[in-house]
Amino acid sequence: HLLQSAGLSAERLLQEDSEEDCEDGGAWVMHFTSVIHWPPCPFHGVFMFSLHDLILPNGGTPAGTSSPASSSSLLNRLQLDDDMDGETRDLFVTVDDPKKHVCTMETYITYRITTKSTRVEFDLPEYSVRRRYQDFDWLRNKLEESQPTHLIPPLPEKFVVKGVVDRFSEEFVETRRKALDKFLKRIADHPVLSFNEHFNVFLTAKDLTAYKKQGMALLTRVGESVKHVTGGYKLRSRPLEFAAIGEYLDTFALKLGTIDRIAQRIIKEEIEYLVELREYGPVYSTWSALEGELAEPLEGVSACIGNCSTALEELTDDMTEDFLPVLREYTLYSDCMKSVLKKRDQVQAEYEAKLDSVVLRKEDRPKVPVDVEKCQDRMECFNADLKADVERWQDNKRQDFRQLLMGMADRNIQYYEKPDLKQRLPRIEKQGPPARCALVFCVVLQPLRVLVLCAEVVLSWRAEPPRCPLGSHAHTPLTKTVVSPSVPVGPAVSCRQRPPGLQPE
Amino acid sequence: MEQAPPGPERPLQPAPMEPLGRPTARLEAVVGEEAEGSRGEGRGDGTVTENNFSLKKIEISVSEAEKRTGRNAMNMQETYTAYLIETRSVEHVDGQSVLTDSLWRRYSEFELLRNYLLVYYPHIVVPPLPEKRAEFVWHKLSADNMDPDFVERRRIGLENFLLRVASHPILCRDKIFYLFLTQEGNWKETVSETGFQLKADSRLKALNATFRVKNPDKRFTELKHYSDELQSVISHLLRVRARVADRLYGVYKVHGNYGRVFSEWSAIEKEMGDGLQSAGHHMDVYASSIDDILEDEEHYADQLKEYLFYAEALRAVCRKHELMQYDLEMAAQDLASKKQQCEELATGTVRTFSLKGMTTKLFGQETPEQRDARIKVLEEQISEGEQQLKSKNLEGREFVKNAWADIERFKEQKNHDLKEALISYAVMQISMCK
Repeated sequence: HLLQSAGLSAERLLQEDSEEDCEDGGAWVMHFTSVIHWPPCPFHGVFMFSLHDLILPNGGTPAGTSSPASSSSLLNRLQLDDDMDGETRDLFVTVDDPKKHVCTMETYITYRITTKSTRVEFDLPEYSVRRRYQDFDWLRNKLEESQPTHLIPPLPEKFVVKGVVDRFSEEFVETRRKALDKFLKRIADHPVLSFNEHFNVFLTAKDLTAYKKQGMALLTRVGESVKHVTGGYKLRSRPLEFAAIGEYLDTFALKLGTIDRIAQRIIKEEIEYLVELREYGPVYSTWSALEGELAEPLEGVSACIGNCSTALEELTDDMTEDFLPVLREYTLYSDCMKSVLKKRDQVQAEYEAKLDSVVLRKEDRPKVPVDVEKCQDRMECFNADLKADVERWQDNKRQDFRQLLMGMADRNIQYYEKPDLKQRLPRIEKQGPPARCALVFCVVLQPLRVLVLCAEVVLSWRAEPPRCPLGSHAHTPLTKTVVSPSVPVGPAVSCRQRPPGLQPE
Repeated sequence: MEQAPPGPERPLQPAPMEPLGRPTARLEAVVGEEAEGSRGEGRGDGTVTENNFSLKKIEISVSEAEKRTGRNAMNMQETYTAYLIETRSVEHVDGQSVLTDSLWRRYSEFELLRNYLLVYYPHIVVPPLPEKRAEFVWHKLSADNMDPDFVERRRIGLENFLLRVASHPILCRDKIFYLFLTQEGNWKETVSETGFQLKADSRLKALNATFRVKNPDKRFTELKHYSDELQSVISHLLRVRARVADRLYGVYKVHGNYGRVFSEWSAIEKEMGDGLQSAGHHMDVYASSIDDILEDEEHYADQLKEYLFYAEALRAVCRKHELMQYDLEMAAQDLASKKQQCEELATGTVRTFSLKGMTTKLFGQETPEQRDARIKVLEEQISEGEQQLKSKNLEGREFVKNAWADIERFKEQKNHDLKEALISYAVMQISMCK
């Protein structure tokens, strides 16, 4: 009924969300905004609805949601986005090719940003620009300002303790590059953030500095209004789902921290083990020099232990370069999320406070002042955006962690199938059983252990088919969201409920 | 009861040695009542020789270890471990084994046996005992002699020692060894009756003495050098291995911390929950697997240790040879000088400076009778000396021949055993990976 009043056809809405579609990775999103009239006073409301799909194995984007509408810049448009999965993604961003620039005043690194897109917002199909960390920082601040209701992905750490970490060392630059690449990709995959003009300029402008200077004028009014929300408003009660998210984040960050510490400890122990191994191998060589018949097998053992050492070293390097940074990124991400949650709380608190003050001096109900309405809009907008972003974050998290461990497992498989092992085997064959066995065991020693372990973990995840990330979050009818018992929530709530035509996942 | 080293007319082929196997390994040693002619090769193949006498097969095992308390030599209460030695004879025809003897011995008695063998078979590389105290330990491994794992490994080591002695073609015939296996009480007295203690002391002294040999046998010098190097390299290996084990233990155990975190994390997750839970479980399993792994590795370390101590025994044989050589040279030198003295007296010329010469000059010449008497004494001594020299030479050659035969045998054994040890080490590592 509602939809029909908004002028949509039923068939569109009843597009299946069947199992097959899910497997094919077909996802569809429906945006629509409408003007709902709530008699007797005009009330601008925005509501949106989203339907998520399965996570795609190739890391495609989960479907996104909301449009950045706010009560002040209401968009009466109907949008039907095509599926935004990997097959029809239309924006690709890469960060690579770090270069050092030495100037009189300072030395810094720039990275090449390559963009390929078929979107109309981009004049050319391809762009290549160079940016430095400062620029990324600027971009992030701009995004936070202009999209305050959304979760902006974190940047790698800004400050580095000089003397402890070499800012120009290969490892540091590479780790940072990877993090920056991830940052831009996350934005590019976000259905709302990727359309942000600052983002566009960042990717395309030859001279970013000039644009930065005129940046102030482009603050959106939503940004302004959110900025004006000062602290001091006390939140009466946080909606359950956001409270749950908050608690979850706290525990999650704690656990991540612990895992990070354990991983570092393991790396430390493995390095010490490596030191001993490096001494262990050569002793067999020394011994082999004394012997006649035993010389070859002993030399074989020595070589094997050497291989073990190398394999182990590669493993610890991978741990440091790939595993730890992901953990750290998610800790930063949790922090971002928590600060957004705080902002949301503030918006809600302000709304409640304003509402209370109105109710108190109210005589002629139900005339609700405009600014209170504005607050309500803001809050609800925030809630919806945030929920959607949380969903996306959860999906990404699962995705990333699975990719992480699978990557590890793959790398270990590659060690096992090392081509030079196959070359070496025929030679060892001649030396006889002991050397051959010794060689096989050593090359296989480390990687297999981790391989088996990772495979176990991965398989146990895979046994759990990824279900629709909607989970229980978005299904929560908004009646749980307590705004204020005295004000009838009315159609705004019912709008958020699922239109009767569609079935739950 | 003195046992002379068996003469060279008893060439026996050694029974092939099984490598230090699993704890309950039993080796069948072919023991002959009398040794004549060659016997059949192969374990369990006790054949009737050409000379037609029956051979008894004996199985020896150190099957149990028991803690005991008793009074020691100073009448103080002490705790020690006793080991049960069981001997079974297997009748060739039907292959059934019958328990013939079973007695308890403690480590010090094993030591006594070995010292006895060292004294009376100086040309043999005598099998070593397991270490007296736990060395090359890494932190988790206890250095306590009463620790059950240590006792267990020692039990295996002692069994191995007995099997090696029993399978040695020469040592296996030793009466004292036989009594060790069969005569529980009074064995110690029997040993001391041989008067070996005196010899043991003098042997020790001699081995530790420093002297220089003029014409060393190159082979023995090289061998001594090899044994020194081997000792040093194996000790180094064992030390580093202990450190490696220590570190590896650390790595595994820290992974165990993941177990708890993953399980806590799984509690707050929905879809990821089960996966994380089982990952945590696997981490725990992984962390606890290190204990068994390292226990198996200790076994490998024990095999290396055996050869570390074997190297010592090898060195002792070389030293003994040096000693004999030195002795020989001294005797020859002594003889030469006596001959010279005699000549001088006879001819009246003093070619070399001597005290006698000086006193003669100072106090006057001696009477012809005195001189003749002295010449006579010297001539007797010379002929005695020549006899001695001859027998020493013979002894020396015998020693070299026998020692070298045993050394060859030892080399074979060593190569075979160490290869097996390395193989089983490799296999162990592979199965650990799996």
